[in-house]
Amino acid sequence: MFIFEGTQPGNLSPEHMQEHMGKWMAWIDKLRKADQYVAGEPLLPGGKLVSGANGKSVTDGPYTEGKEVVGGFFIINAKDIDEAVALSKGFPDFEHGGKVQVRQVMKVEMPQPVA
Amino acid sequence: MQPATTINQVVDHLFRHESGKMIAVLSRLLGLQNIEVAQDIVQDTLLQAMSAWSYKTIPDNPSAWLYRVAKNKAIDFLRREKRFRQISPQYSSLLDSEYTLSSTVHNLFLENEIQDSQLRMMFACCHPAIAEESQVALTLKTLCGLSTGEIAKAFLTTEDTIAKRIYRAKEKIRTEKIELDVPQHNELSARTDAVLKSLYLLFSEGYNSSHPDQLIREDLCEEAMRLCLLVTQHSLTAFPRSKALLALMCFQSSRLNARLDDKNNIILLKYQDRRKWSRSLISKGFELMEESAEPFEVSTYHFEAAIASLHASAISFEQTDWKSIYHLYDMLYQLQPNPIVAMNKAIASAYAISKQNALNELQQIKGLEQHHLYYASIGELYFEMENTGEAKKFFQKALEFTSSVPMQQLLQSKINNC
Repeated sequence: MFIFEGTQPGNLSPEHMQEHMGKWMAWIDKLRKADQYVAGEPLLPGGKLVSGANGKSVTDGPYTEGKEVVGGFFIINAKDIDEAVALSKGFPDFEHGGKVQVRQVMKVEMPQPVA
Repeated sequence: MQPATTINQVVDHLFRHESGKMIAVLSRLLGLQNIEVAQDIVQDTLLQAMSAWSYKTIPDNPSAWLYRVAKNKAIDFLRREKRFRQISPQYSSLLDSEYTLSSTVHNLFLENEIQDSQLRMMFACCHPAIAEESQVALTLKTLCGLSTGEIAKAFLTTEDTIAKRIYRAKEKIRTEKIELDVPQHNELSARTDAVLKSLYLLFSEGYNSSHPDQLIREDLCEEAMRLCLLVTQHSLTAFPRSKALLALMCFQSSRLNARLDDKNNIILLKYQDRRKWSRSLISKGFELMEESAEPFEVSTYHFEAAIASLHASAISFEQTDWKSIYHLYDMLYQLQPNPIVAMNKAIASAYAISKQNALNELQQIKGLEQHHLYYASIGELYFEMENTGEAKKFFQKALEFTSSVPMQQLLQSKINNC
């Protein structure tokens, strides 16, 4: 479905792709040397970074952690998957679409800390 | 004769992909002040296509067919109106003469001019005079061919609200006399940032897993990527940060097919079948990320793309480079100190450092006092650390801040577990 779907994937596996990112590594190096990068105002996208009246739209983003790791934090530990699925089916509370997403409830163990 | 459903599907597909292009081109020709005339011409064109194709076969090149009809309608309109000077200052002299009228219209429908018109339209939709929420709505309406109803559905709001946003945006176009210009050099950078921001929000809306309709989510992501690709391909706007944003979109969308099971249930990152991730999108993401490194500039999109790349290249959830992710969030936070980034950083720290550290970080965040997910996260950490008393307290707090019935039920069941 996606615009790049037809393009050939590179020869390397995703895990190894990072090792062939010379320019990107140089970017990281430059970043380390440039202590003052935060002050580079023209580089800030939009220039409107503080949440305020438009807080929701300003701050929300496609972050993996909140949406896919914790996204179901309180859904995660629900005892009974079937019950949750049934629950969702019973609640057409989405005000306008008239559709309800059945959201899977899963058990997630926190892995041991890396450090 | 083809079945009606096939025709509707084709027209539907064309509507999405061609109406935005045609509206951009026609608005450039007629002047943005006449955007509604442009929209009417496109609407007429599509209706004509539907009736013509319903008893004949669909032409081999339906896009070219549409352009030809739209062109003719535009030429008819211009001949009829005979007020080119008012409506289209840029092309008035060329449109004035019958000799150059057709060729001028024709030339604007050439592929590179279509792209140029779309880019100009993006700048117009994301004009600083237009409120941010209206920018996204107007972009979807004019460039992505979504109806007001579809946009309302996408943002889980009413058609009325979206109609008002679009109306206000069009009012601004009138009162501020916004035209389809390419910004001057001194404001090009900031204006491009506004476009990128709008595309980021559009993508974000699609990526947001809370939306009940998978198809709408994919559509929004796809449209954001299509427009962002256009931005990265134009010499004026191909900034490194534009490429970083597109890289981010590639990495995140590579998982769209793996995020839902066959019953449309959300599958969390840890349980996704990583073989289902799109290799070509990940690969494209790395390619764009590499390109975004030169010339040197720093944007939030660079950090977000880098974080996303670490998820995309991890062999498993456990073997994810959480330490680097945490470090990147730390730098992102310096650049963009907002509580949502802080929350994501804290969550990453549960894996990079420790649950206790995550808890400490979460508790220091100010500004999410109304956010149920914030309290739920804290509650969950307590629960994992076997402090059920505290966990219960925070789950109850989370309960106060969600109006969604299923979420209330789920929180209630968690409280009962404590």
